[in-house]
Amino acid sequence: MEPLFESSVREVSRLVGLQEKELALLEVADRAANELVVSEFERYIERKFNDKVPEVLRKYHLLGVPISEKYGGRGARQLLQALFMERLGQLGLGVITFADVHQCLGSLTIQDWGSEEQKNRYLTKAASGDAVFAYALTEPEAGSDPVSIKTTYIKDGSGFKISGEKYLISNGSIATNLIVFAYPEGTPKELSAFIVDSKEDGFSVDMKLEEKMGLFTSDTALLSFDDVHIAREDLLGQEGKGLHVAYSALLNGRLGVASGCLGVMEDCLNQVKERATTRVQHGKLIGKHQLVQRHIATIASNLESSRWLVYRAAMKKTEAEKSPSDPGLRLEADRQTAIAKYVSSRLAFDSADRAVQVFGGFGYSTVSPVAKHLVDTRVARIYEGTDEIMELKIASSILGKGFEAYG
Amino acid sequence: MQLHLTGSTNINAKRERVFQLLTDPNFIATTLPDAVEVAVLDRESLEAKLKVRVALISSSVKVLLRVADRAPPASARLLAEGSGSGSTLKISSTFSLEGDGTTKMSWVADAEISGLMAGLGSIVLRGFAEKKVSEIFAGITKGIEGASR
Repeated sequence: MEPLFESSVREVSRLVGLQEKELALLEVADRAANELVVSEFERYIERKFNDKVPEVLRKYHLLGVPISEKYGGRGARQLLQALFMERLGQLGLGVITFADVHQCLGSLTIQDWGSEEQKNRYLTKAASGDAVFAYALTEPEAGSDPVSIKTTYIKDGSGFKISGEKYLISNGSIATNLIVFAYPEGTPKELSAFIVDSKEDGFSVDMKLEEKMGLFTSDTALLSFDDVHIAREDLLGQEGKGLHVAYSALLNGRLGVASGCLGVMEDCLNQVKERATTRVQHGKLIGKHQLVQRHIATIASNLESSRWLVYRAAMKKTEAEKSPSDPGLRLEADRQTAIAKYVSSRLAFDSADRAVQVFGGFGYSTVSPVAKHLVDTRVARIYEGTDEIMELKIASSILGKGFEAYG
Repeated sequence: MQLHLTGSTNINAKRERVFQLLTDPNFIATTLPDAVEVAVLDRESLEAKLKVRVALISSSVKVLLRVADRAPPASARLLAEGSGSGSTLKISSTFSLEGDGTTKMSWVADAEISGLMAGLGSIVLRGFAEKKVSEIFAGITKGIEGASR
């Protein structure tokens, strides 16, 4: 195993306990990650979606890690899923975005909210790679505020018809199925969630969004829905309860991003260690210059400051899942996840910035692996809940009812 | 920055023949991928200008390749040193041959890379090096099997 990841796994195993089967899964994840190094870097340079990610994850049966074995997944608990995402995170957030959206925002949401029939129909395909999921909540006028969503649906004989636009949708142009949120036409309250087949008439990819600061290896699209038919049985959760579905999905997604950020910090640490112990300036290795050491110390501290926040949030989430009737546990898991995502995404960005500094001029080159992390990681402070939304959630969880900044 | 790579491949040719070709600069010259110019200097060495491309970093590298420590038909060393486009590289590799009829070739290579290319880091470079090495050995295997028919 990659040494920094192996030390994480060993420490978690020592303190929390990991079963043989769980360790074996992480070995497989390590092999898959090694196999993706070249394609991920090549596609980053070419600014293209890394189509090797679904291919390699499929080959190693890693497309349904948190999905129950009953539906063809690996049945990983949240802590194991976090470690899996941590390893993938070393490749960068492009890989994480694909895996997080497909598994956490997509498949897990169906596992959490779907009917038995929906789980049988979709999860087996998602775990095998025959289906790829996207999560379509954001719109041009509705980012952090899902209440502003303009997409609407009408009831139509055998089901529903949905119309509107969804913006900045990861996996948008490659998804076979999407979880889409819409209000009933003329009544912009009581949001509902639907599972939409991308082959349905009226669905189109309006634009592949390639003019991004980073995250080039992730697919991002502007999608259009023009009277897209949805069968009655593809309503996800109860009609009018879509906001619960949306928030619970984001909670899954946040933990995935936070875990991926641990991997980013590990890779930054690996890169700066190698650079500092091989590059000579002013007659000595740059690692012997104390101001360079300060950056290395900070990256190592960033990683350790985030690691157990993420693992703790993962364990809290499993605890909450085991007692669904306990709202206190769910709120605590929500709070811990927000803290883990808030801290780890900012510290991953800071680590990438410091890694660029240690690399000097070459670090500023777009072909530098640390520059890739810098441009990729910035989005982690925005998507799946901005820094500011995380701050509001954390603060209101401390202050209590009546202090929520938004309804 | 240093890289340590190992591997093995099976070649459908007799060991003596494999050894003879692998230590012949005239044969090696025909198997080098990305070669723009190759000049065989003597029975031990050749000089080549290679266009090495790692992702978008394309370097023109002038390399001196030398065969050393021949122990026929079991092993030999191939040493390469070169520089260009802001990068320098030094490779020391040893191959050993076993078997009769089909020859198993095992190899170990240590590469030292400095300059611009080193900035990519060993994680990325290792991936590219493994990919390139598999191309080189596929070329060598094809070349030897073709030459041995």
